[in-house]
This record gives sequence, C-alpha cells and structure tokens, in this order.
Amino acid sequence: MRQFFLIFLSLLFLGFLSQAHAVDWEEIEKKAKGQTVYFNAWGGSQPINEYIQWAGRLVQKKYGVRVIHVKATDIGDVVSRILVEKAAKKLQNGSVDLMWINGENFKAMKENTLLFGPFSQNLPHFQKVDNQKKTLKYDFTVPVDNLESPWGMAQLVFSYDTSQVLKHPETMSDLLAFAKKHPGKFTYPAIPSFHGTTFIKQALSELIHDPKILSQKVSAPDFEKHTQPLWDFLDALHPLLWRKGKVFPTSGSQMLSLLNDNEIFISLSFNPNSVSNAIENGELPNTIRTYIHKGGTIGNAHFVAIPFNSSAKPGAMVFANFLLSPLAQARKANPKIWGDPSVLDIKKLSGPDKKLFDDVPKGIATLSADELGPGLPEPHVSWVQALEKEWLKKYNK
Amino acid sequence: MRLFGQEKTYIFPVFVMGLFSVTILAGFIGTLLPSFNYLPVIGHTNLSLSVWFDFFSYPGIQTSILVTIFSGMTASFCVVTLAFLFISVSYENALWKFFEKILSPVLSIPHAAFAVGFGFLIAPSGWMVRLVSPVLTGFHTPPDWILLNDPLGISLTIALVIKEFPFLIMVAMGALGQLDIKKTLLVGRALGYKKEQIWLKVLIPRLYPHLRLSIFAIIAYSLSVVDMAILLGPNTPSSLSVLVLKWFNDPDVNFKLLASAGSLCLFFIVLVSIFIVYLIERIAHFFLGPWITNGKRSSFLALFKPFIAFMGICIILFTIISSVILVIWSLAWQWRFPDFLPTTWSLNFWAKGMVSSFDPVMTTVVTGVASAFIGLFLTIGCLEHEGNYRKNQTNQNQNSQDLIGLNQIRKKRTNNFIKNIHYFLYLPLLVPQITFMAGIQLLLVIMKMDGYWITLMGSHLLFVLPYMFIALSATYLSFDERVTDQAMLLRRSYARVMLSVKWPMLLKPILFSFAIGFSVSVAQYIPTMLVGAGRFSTITTEVVNIASGSDRRIMAVYALIQQCLPLIMFAAAIIIPKILYYNRKGMQV
Repeated sequence: MRQFFLIFLSLLFLGFLSQAHAVDWEEIEKKAKGQTVYFNAWGGSQPINEYIQWAGRLVQKKYGVRVIHVKATDIGDVVSRILVEKAAKKLQNGSVDLMWINGENFKAMKENTLLFGPFSQNLPHFQKVDNQKKTLKYDFTVPVDNLESPWGMAQLVFSYDTSQVLKHPETMSDLLAFAKKHPGKFTYPAIPSFHGTTFIKQALSELIHDPKILSQKVSAPDFEKHTQPLWDFLDALHPLLWRKGKVFPTSGSQMLSLLNDNEIFISLSFNPNSVSNAIENGELPNTIRTYIHKGGTIGNAHFVAIPFNSSAKPGAMVFANFLLSPLAQARKANPKIWGDPSVLDIKKLSGPDKKLFDDVPKGIATLSADELGPGLPEPHVSWVQALEKEWLKKYNK
Repeated sequence: MRLFGQEKTYIFPVFVMGLFSVTILAGFIGTLLPSFNYLPVIGHTNLSLSVWFDFFSYPGIQTSILVTIFSGMTASFCVVTLAFLFISVSYENALWKFFEKILSPVLSIPHAAFAVGFGFLIAPSGWMVRLVSPVLTGFHTPPDWILLNDPLGISLTIALVIKEFPFLIMVAMGALGQLDIKKTLLVGRALGYKKEQIWLKVLIPRLYPHLRLSIFAIIAYSLSVVDMAILLGPNTPSSLSVLVLKWFNDPDVNFKLLASAGSLCLFFIVLVSIFIVYLIERIAHFFLGPWITNGKRSSFLALFKPFIAFMGICIILFTIISSVILVIWSLAWQWRFPDFLPTTWSLNFWAKGMVSSFDPVMTTVVTGVASAFIGLFLTIGCLEHEGNYRKNQTNQNQNSQDLIGLNQIRKKRTNNFIKNIHYFLYLPLLVPQITFMAGIQLLLVIMKMDGYWITLMGSHLLFVLPYMFIALSATYLSFDERVTDQAMLLRRSYARVMLSVKWPMLLKPILFSFAIGFSVSVAQYIPTMLVGAGRFSTITTEVVNIASGSDRRIMAVYALIQQCLPLIMFAAAIIIPKILYYNRKGMQV
C-alpha cells in the first residue's frame, strides 16, 4: 500500500514537473534574450560553418540570442580549456557556452563532471527526436543521460571512384582482395584519429567470431583471443596500403583530398551525404559513389552540450532547441547545404514540418535509408581504448 | 654628455626583462609540476616519476625523439652552412641585390601556408609530377612514392631549410653593416687572397657572433615546429612536438601529464642541441685557427660558386612556386590528377572567403599593429639604452685611471646585467612555445585574465619583441652618433633630437622592424588559441581551422589573405619613406 502511495506521489510529482516545463521554457526564452552564446565547434568545413552562421542569424532574429561560432581544430582543445577553467576555480562565466561533441570527448567531460544538465529533456523540440535510436541514448556506449542534446546522425560509409573500380568490395575480405588487385589504392587514417578508429572497429565487428562479446567490457584474455583475426587481417592489408602502410593520412578529411587526387580509389567517411555534398561543391568529381558492407556499418550520433560554467545557459538551450527544430534539421539534411542526417523521427512530424523533409533532395551519391540499414552498434568503449593501444604498439614504429 | 631622460633609459631593459622572465618562468612551472604527476584538478597530487616512465614507454617514442633531433639538427646545420657559403660567394653581386629586394615578401609567407603549397608541389600527385604526366611518365594515377611525410622527416627538413635560410640571410644583412667589409676585402686582396677565402677565413668568423642567437633560435624552432610538421613531417610516429600537441588535446585528460613531460623533453632536447653547438664552436675555434693562418690564398669554394648560387635561387623559387600554387587552388573549382591546371575555375571561394574573413582580419590587424607599436617602443627604448651604455663604456675607458671607485664597479655590474638583455629577449624563441604557453594559460585563467584582448596582445608581444629587436638592433646601434651629438649641442633636448633627427633618419629600418613585428603577430597560433580563450579569431586561427578540413580551395583563399597582410605592411615600409623623402635622395636609402 505504502509503495502504491509512493508511486502515486511520484507520478503526481512528475506530472507537476512536466507542467512546470512549459512555464519554464518561456522563462528560459525570456532569460536568453540578449545573451551571447559562444558555440565551440569544429571549423574545418566551409558548408558547416555557413550552416552555423545561418542558424545563428535566425536565432538572433527570433529569440534575440547572439551566437558566435568559435572554431576549433579539435574539440579536445575545448575540453582542455574547460578543464583548465575548472582547475582555476572558474565556476561561472566560463569561455564556452555550447559545444559540438560526442564520443571520447563526451566521456571525458562526463567523467570529470564538466557538463551542465540534464537539460535536453526540457527542450520543446526534443519531443520529436527519434527515441527508438539507441545511438541517441548511448554516445559510444556511454549513457547520454540528457547531458547533451542530439544534433545529427552518422554512419560509416565507404566511397569509391566508379571510373577506376567497377565493383566495390562488400566485406573486409573483399577489401583485402581489392587491395591485392590495386596495391596502394586504399588506406585509412592513423589511429587515434576518429575515422581510423572507426575503421578498426568496423573491421573487428566483421571479423570477430562472436560479435556479441563486443558489447561487454573487455578483459585481457578475451581481447587477445578475439582480436587475433583483426591483427591477421591488418598484417595482410598493411603492405598493400597506400605508401605500403608506412605513412597514413592523419584525418578523414585528408582521405577526401587523396580520393580527389586519384591517390586512392576507396575512401571512407562518417556522413552518408558527405560525398554528395562534396560533388555538389566541386570538391569531388561526379564519378564517386558510396557503399556499405554487407552486414551493415557502425553508426553513431553527434550532439551539443553545455559546460558546467557556461555564462549563458538559457541562451545555449534556446540555440540547442533551435538546432533540433524541423526547420534547422531539414536544412541540415539537405546535401546541397550540409547533408547531415536528421535526428528527428519523421513519423512524428505533420503538415508543414513534414513537408520540409519531403522537400529535401536525395543526394546524387547518397544511399537510401533502407540501403544504409539500422547500423551496427558501437563496441563497448573499453574495447576502443584497448584497440588503439594495441594498434599503436604494433604499427607505430 | 647626458641630457634629461637619457639616464632613465634603463627602465626599458629592466621592464622587458621582468616581463619576459616572470611569464616564461610561470609558464615553465605550470608545465613542470604536471610532468611530476602534480595536477590536482584531475586528482593527481602525489609527486612521482611515474609520468616520465609512461612517457618513455609510450609506443614509438624513441623514434619520435630521434626523428625530431634528426630533422631539426640537419635542417639547422644545412641552413647555417648554406647561408655562410652563400654570403661568401654572392655578397654585393646581382643575386645579393635581388635577395635584398625579395627577402621581406619571402619571409612574410607564414610557415603553414608555405607548407601547404610546398606539399602540393612535391607530392606524388603534386605539381611537379603533373607537369610531366601523363605525357612523359605514363602516369594516369599518381605513383605510390613516399615523398611527403616520409618516416625520416626528410621532406620536413627540406621545407625547414627553405623557410629558415632567408631568415638567417636577413639577419646577416643587418649584421654585415657593422663589419668593415670593404676595407677587409681590400687588404685581403692586396695580400693575394681570393675573395671567397677572405670571407671564410676572416669575415665569417667575425660575422658569427652576431648571428649566434639567431642560429640558436633557428635550432629551437626547427626542433619544436608544429604546423609544418603536421603537414609535411612523419606521422607513424610523428615528431615529438606534434605528439605533444596531440596529447594536450586528447579527450583523455590523463594525457595532459604525458604532454607536460613531452614538452619538457622537447625543451631539454633544445637545450642539449644548443649546448652541442656551443661545443662545436669551441672545437672549431681550436682546430680552425691553424687553417685560418696557414697562408693558403686560393679557395676550393670558387668551384662551387655556381652550385651555391643555384641553391639560393632554388630556395626562393620553391617559395614563390608554393605561393603560385595557392593562387591556382584558390581559383579552382575542380582539379584532379594528372591535370596540370584546374579543369573548371571559380571565383566562388574568394567571394565567400572575403566575406567570412572580414572580422578575423580586423582582429588580426588591430592586434598586430598594437603589438608592433608597443614592440617598437620597447625595442627602441632598449636599443637607446644599449647605445648610451656603449658610449659611456668608451668614455669611461678613456678616463678610468682616476675614476675607478666602488660606485663605479657596482654601476658596471648592473650595466653588465642589463647588457644580457639579449638573452632574455631571446627566451621566448629558445623555449618551445608549447612548453610554457600551456602553463601561462592556467595562470591567466586563475587570475581571471584570459580571453581579454589586452592579454592576447601581450602574449603576441612575447614573440613580436625579439624579432623586432633582431631586425632593428644592428642598424640602430651602428647609427653615426656624431649626428645626434651635433644636434644636441644645438638643441639641448633629448626627446626633440630623437624625434626630429635620429628617428627620421632611421625611418626605413624602423618601419621594416615594425612590419616584421606585425607579421610575427599575424602568424601566432598557439598563443592566440590558449590565451584568447576562443574569444578572438584571427586570420591564422581561421587558416588552421579550415586546414583541418579537406577543401584546399577555401584553404588557399584564407592562406593567401593571411599572406597578404604582412605583405601590405612591408610594401608600406618601402613606400612611406619614398613618399616622405621624395625630395631628399640621401634619406631614401
């Protein structure tokens, strides 16, 4: 009986809370007015920078929030800076109000309690987010806990030059066969770069005998036993790579230039639309197309988060909410603008909101949602660290 | 003869030394403690050596260290040797005159911009191979050669030589003015020595002390270079400086400790390298003595004359072509291998770049002008003091017999101390940036002074001042003081004499050093990023950001805008004296 009562009470309380939401949000918008939000985000792509400018202009007009895009080469810089601010006891008026984040950076921020929140559940547009997607609840297997608000989806896709390669590989062993046929025409970015690590994870997921084990925390004997096929594969692949595996590109971006220069015929990317976008703006020729491997590829998501010492939390929330709006998400999904897949559940939308998405053109080199499939889950984060360490030990000589 | 204000000039060196030593020491401690496992914010409070063990057992660290030493030392050695040979064979000839004109624009090209262009020039899919493909080579796809990012760091070394050689020549041009070259050559020729032999045996040994600190700076720079090493250096494993930067930015905060140890290790390598050069100096002094006095008049060097001149021309050529490549990329729409020129062109990226770079350019210009102004003020102050000090020295020597007393000795000691200002000024150039800037960042955040424009400008000043000092000191100190003495006899006001006689006469070198200070400020990346707290984006941070992406066309636009700013300043330094003194031919030189 008492338990029932407690449940009843908490339900009542919850109802109260959601009531409070609506009121709260107006309050937040009011507080946000006139604030300046320093949005720290990677600034290496002109289309993305222009998209952020567009979003900033609209938020300024609609909500009176000024957004300044602080460009970073590596969001790790920004994590460092927030950490330094914490070290120096700067608990308010921090230099960062909102940041573009995921994966290891999120994990580091969460572990060091550098994040404000939970907050994303309070954003009105958050209701329309596709909550079926596991990658939006677990960021690289770390629970999101509403400490970051979703911004876009990502999935590993390969791209190839149709003028050089007739039939693209469909598995890792196909890829090895391709490398044998075209030595020096494939490579992947060096570990620990984001794209490089993903390629290794993808290879492991395909080659491992028992994929289920990847969702659990890794143990040393397990690691040795289960990763052996991966190392065998890489040992065979490396002499056939670009520059015979003695030099690696440093980032996923460099892979795109190599593809354009005809240095490699197969490249990889984390945005299923990036090739379409690059063809659109002339960075790649129209002969490049994308594909994925048979069993699917690793997918994840990227987010925005507010640091604990942000000086403009309401403003940051208003901007995060705007980034989730159908208007902003549809524009982002357009391959002519950026081509970053939306985090919204299209089924939840109706009327003009749905039309926004219906009007988004399909990219010339983009696979359909069905072709992309649901995406493979990320391995547990402990695997990643162990993999990176072992890779460095084996190949960083 | 001392006038009002003249004895107060010691304020300048004292202020500069205080500023420099305090900031660098503070930054240094901020790096030293974490390397011994002391960084309370991430829960490390037990002093121990564990970080150093981790550091030395990091996979591939030995290779990283060796590559760093190899590329840094080889580059420095080549630069110095080539510069001395070049000066010996081409001083005052047509090529030299050409160098005098072209040097400042060449120097104003930022390292990163040069590295992008140079990388595209020599890559297997780059311009040189495209020039002969597919007609001569049959390559329809680029060959799989390791030309860039080679594991030994040779491409990085070559790029460093190309970039540092003009710098050393520029410093030498200033210093040569202080040597009596014409007379020495005359006497030498009269004794039957070949011109090259006189240079090698007499003039270079006398020139060397003037260049010593700049050479040390070149060594420190080559060992700790980051931007060029990322683009051109090896990456599995990368050189130590790149590794340290990666660790500093690693999301796993425990890498911060490793980064501190790494940056101290880098500093240690710099120190040891400089010490080795010092030892080589001693040894050379011992062994070259007999060679200098052996009386042999002819020189083998004459044979290599065309080769050395060729190397000099190549260096300039490579730099210019690297810029030309940027211009082409900035106008390209699609450009693939093996096309020698883009297949489709576009002005799109200039239109976009001009608009989006406007604010960063403004910040850059304001910061650069302000720090160059303050830098100029301090440089002239210090040099004025040094000039006065030297003059006093000679006066004292003349009547020292009756004046030596306790006071005198004490005064001499402080003066000697102040004389060492050179070494303090060079500190920011000798300690790797990454070693102390991270510590300074922490300090500024604690004092709640990060993210202000004034601290950003101050951090630029740390690097602006030494280069301005290098640029100006030789000419300034060799100014004919009889002119000012005469003026002071006519008008007993120190300030007036400076304003209306000395500085107008020195206008051209002063403007040049201003332009150099400005271009140094423009190029600063690490200080802007760490001290500016992301509040200030300059054209250089824009370039580095866009370079982390893949689009070479917009990257080229930004790099060219970045390159233009110092160029405009140098052009002003040449044109302004011409306009002001159009009717005074003697002042235009």
